[in-house]
Amino acid sequence: MDDLRDVLQIALRQGADFADIFIEKKSVNGIGCEDNKIERINSGIDIGAGIRVIAGDSTAYAYTNDLSLDGLGHAAQVASHAARGGASSRSIDLSRRSSPVEMVIASRPEQVALEDKVEQVLRANRHARAIDDRIKQVTVGYGDVVQEVTIANSEGDYVEDERIRTRFVVHAVAADGAVIQTGYEALGGAKGFEIFEERDPEALAQAAVDRALLMLTAKPAPSGKMPVVMSSAAGGTMVHEACGHGLEADLVQKGLSVYAGKEGQEVASPLVTVIDDGTIAGKYGTLRFDDEGTPGQKNVLIEKGVLKGFMHDRFTAGKDKCSPTGNGRRESYQHKPIPRMTNTLIASGDEIPEKIIKDTKRGLFVKKMGGGQVNTTNGDFVFDVAEGYLIENGEIGAAVRGATLTGNGPEVLRRIDRVGNDLGFAIGTCGKDGQGAPVSDAQPTLRITSLIVGGTGAAASGDDDEATAVAPAGGSGGVGGELRRLSPFELLNHPAGRIRRL
Amino acid sequence: MSQIAMRELARQMVERAQAKGANQSEAYGLDSKELSIDVSKGIVETMKLAEDRGIGIRVFQNGKMGYSFTSDLSETALEATVDRALANARWNAEDRFRGLPGKAEAYPEVNTHDPAIAGIPVERKIELAKTIEATAKAVDPRIKIIERSSYSDAEYRVTIINSQGVDAAYQGAYCGGYAYLVAEENGESQTGFSLSYGLSFDGIDPQKIGKEAAEKALRMLGAKPLSSRRAPVVFDPYVATQFLGILAPSLTAEAVQKGKSLFAGKKGQKIAAAEVTIIDDGRMEGRILSAPFDGEGVPTSRTVLIDQGSLEAFLHNTYTAAKEGAASTGNGSRGSFRGTPEVGTTNFYLQAGERPPDELIGEIESGFYVTEVMGMHTANPISGDFSVGAAGLLIEQGRLTRPVRGVAIAGNLLDWLTGIDGVGSDLTFFIGKGAPTLRAKEMAISGA
Repeated sequence: MDDLRDVLQIALRQGADFADIFIEKKSVNGIGCEDNKIERINSGIDIGAGIRVIAGDSTAYAYTNDLSLDGLGHAAQVASHAARGGASSRSIDLSRRSSPVEMVIASRPEQVALEDKVEQVLRANRHARAIDDRIKQVTVGYGDVVQEVTIANSEGDYVEDERIRTRFVVHAVAADGAVIQTGYEALGGAKGFEIFEERDPEALAQAAVDRALLMLTAKPAPSGKMPVVMSSAAGGTMVHEACGHGLEADLVQKGLSVYAGKEGQEVASPLVTVIDDGTIAGKYGTLRFDDEGTPGQKNVLIEKGVLKGFMHDRFTAGKDKCSPTGNGRRESYQHKPIPRMTNTLIASGDEIPEKIIKDTKRGLFVKKMGGGQVNTTNGDFVFDVAEGYLIENGEIGAAVRGATLTGNGPEVLRRIDRVGNDLGFAIGTCGKDGQGAPVSDAQPTLRITSLIVGGTGAAASGDDDEATAVAPAGGSGGVGGELRRLSPFELLNHPAGRIRRL
Repeated sequence: MSQIAMRELARQMVERAQAKGANQSEAYGLDSKELSIDVSKGIVETMKLAEDRGIGIRVFQNGKMGYSFTSDLSETALEATVDRALANARWNAEDRFRGLPGKAEAYPEVNTHDPAIAGIPVERKIELAKTIEATAKAVDPRIKIIERSSYSDAEYRVTIINSQGVDAAYQGAYCGGYAYLVAEENGESQTGFSLSYGLSFDGIDPQKIGKEAAEKALRMLGAKPLSSRRAPVVFDPYVATQFLGILAPSLTAEAVQKGKSLFAGKKGQKIAAAEVTIIDDGRMEGRILSAPFDGEGVPTSRTVLIDQGSLEAFLHNTYTAAKEGAASTGNGSRGSFRGTPEVGTTNFYLQAGERPPDELIGEIESGFYVTEVMGMHTANPISGDFSVGAAGLLIEQGRLTRPVRGVAIAGNLLDWLTGIDGVGSDLTFFIGKGAPTLRAKEMAISGA
C-alpha cells in the first residue's frame, strides 16, 4: 500500500484534482472446437497497470506492462505531465474499502483440469452433430478468466478484488440445398465451472441446433410496421439499446443523449421500470467493485415511466455533484474507466405471458434477440431477431428469418402496453469507445404496439397510419454503443480480447 | 524494450520449447507505443499514452498445437508460458496439416514506418486535433457538439522467430485524425464523422476532416422516413466498405474449408457483377496495414479474389494452404501477441471503377443514397442475409434531395454483389478496408 501511495503522489506532483491506479493480473483460458475436433487451446497471462490523472476537465491516462516500482513511477510521471494543473502536494491515507456484494465461486476455473474443460466442449460438439444430418458445422467455445485487480486513488480508497467469469457458446450451421442458416446458444456468468450445473453442454447444443434447423424452414420476415411481442427468453437487447446507453452519464453530460435534462419527466410507459443492477448473484455483469473501486449497486433508472437517474463513474458523478453509482468500468488496464451498464433489465409486471400473445391479433413474436446498436444522440436503435414467428389471431404461427427491428428508444418505451410476470436473462459483450465489457440484460414478456420490421418478405399491410419517425439513422463510430452476443470465434481466437491498435 | 532484448527473449522461448519436446515452435513478440489525444472545447479532454509488450508462443507436437502468451516478461513467467503452451497442445486434436512456415527467400520492400511521427512535438499533435474541432465548428452555427476530435498515433515492432528458420522483425508507425460531431436544429440532432489515417503526419488534413464531418451532419437535418418500396440504392464509400467487411470472412480459405462461406464451391464462377473486382494487398504503397510479412513470417502478397465478377482465389495462412496443397497468400494475420494467427485481410478493397459518383446518382429517377447503416454487425456472413437500419438522402430526377431516416434495407450478400450496376471512381480507404461509391440496381427498402 505504501508503494502505491508513493506512485499516486508522483502522479499528483504536477498538480491535479484526482489520480488513481488500476493494477491488473489476468489469467485467461480458451478452448475452441470446430470441424469436429479441438482446434485451439489458448491461455495467457496479462499483467499491467493504468494510471489516471484528472485536472479540471482534462484526463491523462498512461499504461504499462512493467509493474515494478520504477515502471509504475514512470507511468505516473508521464500521466502527471500530460494533465498538469499547477504544482501541489497532498497527503494520501489509503484505507481498504468493502463491498456488500458477495462473489461465491463454487468451482474455481484454475482448479479444474484442462481435460475436464475439453470434455464439456466435446460433449456439446458430439451432441450437436448427432441430432440431424443437416447440421454441417458446429463451433463450440469455452472461456474462463481470473482477474485480480488492485485499485488505489488519491481520495484514499484502496480495493483488492478478484473477478472470475466463465462462458460457453455453441454455434451451429445447418444447410438444406442452397439454404444455409445458423443458430447459437450461450451460457455464462460471474461464476466458475459450476455454470454447467445451470445447463449442461448437451442442452446448449440442442438449443443451438434446434434454432438453426428451424430457420431452414422459416419464411423471409415481412417488412413494415407491426405490433411486436418479445418473449422473456429473448434477452434484453432492446432495453440495452433503447435506453441503457442513453442513460450513461458521460453521453448525457455531453448532450449526446435523448434523455439529457429529462430527470423527473415521464420518458416511458408507466408500466416500465428500468434497473441496472450490478449486485445480482452470479450474473455476467455482476461486480463487487467497479473498476474505480466503487462497490456494485442496484440503480433504478426509470421508475414507472419516470426518469430517476443516470449511470455514473467518478468523473461524471463529480461533474453532477452526485455519488458514483458503481458503473465505472474498463475493459482492462489499457483503458480508462467510463460509465457502463452491468446487468440491465426491465422489471417484470403482472400479466400472464400467454395472455399477451393471445390478445395480439397479428404481429411478430420475438423468441430470441441477437445483437443490436444504438445512436444515443437521437435514440434510434436496431437489433437483430435470432428466432422469430408471426402471430396470427393470437396464435404463434410460422417461423420467420432475417428480421431486424428498428425503433426509437423513447418512442418504443412509450409504446409498451403489456408487461409479463416473467423475466429472462441473456449475456453479451457491450462495445463502447472501443472497449468491450461483459454485461447481461433481461426483460419480461413485453408487447410494443408498433415497431418497424425490416425483412425481405412482402410488406405488411399497414394498419398503423401513424407516420412518426420511428427508425434508424446511422450510428457509426463514436457515440453510443453496440451489443454483441458472444461468439465462439472470439473465444477461440482472442481469449483475452484483442489489442485494438486502430 | 530494445529490439535486441525482444529478439533474445523470443529465441530463448523457442529453444526452451524445443528442448522440452516440441517438434516445432514459434515465438511472436510485439512492442508498441500509442498516443491518443481527444480535444473538446479547445482543451485536451483525454490524453492517453500507452506502452504494451508481450510474447506469444505456439508449439506443435505430433500435429497438435498449443498456444500461450504473456505480457509478464519475467524469467519465471516466460518459462511458465512455454509449459502452458505444451500442456495445451496435449489436449488438442491431431491434425497433420498443422505446422510452421520455413525461412522465406526474401521479403518485399514495404514502407511501414515514418520515423518522423515520433519526433513531432506533442503540442503540434494537440494542435492538429484542435484544428479539426475549430474547423468543424466554423462550418455552421448548427454544429453544436463535437463529441470527439482526436489525433492518434502508434509505433510498433513485430518480431517472429521459429524453429524452422524464420528470424524476422519490422517496425511500423502510423497516425491519423478523427471527428465525430452533432448538428442540431429545432430540437433535432444528427451526427456526422470523418477520419483519415496514414503513414505520415503531413498526410493528415485536419481541415478536411472537420469540414467533412460537419457537412455530413448538416445535410441530415430534417431527415424523415420513406415509404416502403423497391428502388435503386447508391452506397457511399463508407457504407460500401462496411458491406465489404461482412464479405471478408467468406473470402478466407478457412471459411471455405469449414463449409461456412457463401462462396464455397464457386471458384471460377461469376458471383458478382462484371464491374466488381476485389483485392487484398499486403504490400500496398502508403497503407497502414501493409507489412513485409504476416503474423507467421510469410511474405505478404497481392491477391485478386474477385476479378471482374469472377471468383478467383481465397486468402490463406500456412495451415489452410497446407490443407489444400496451395501456397500461403501471407494472410496469417494477428492483431497482437494475445492470439494465434488466423486467416485475415490486410488492405482489402473493391477496385475503383471509371464513373464519377455524380454520374451514378444522375442516372436514377427515384432512389436512395445511403450514407449510414446501423447494425451491420448483425448481418450473417454464413447465410449472407442482412437487414440493416439505414439513413441517407433521397434521389429524385438524378439529384440528391431531402435527407432520409426511418428505413431498413435487407437482402442477401450474393444478390447484393450481382445486383451492382455501377462502380464509382472514388475508392476511399477506412483504415484497412476501402471501396468506391457503389450502385445497386434495386433493393427492398422497408419504411414507415
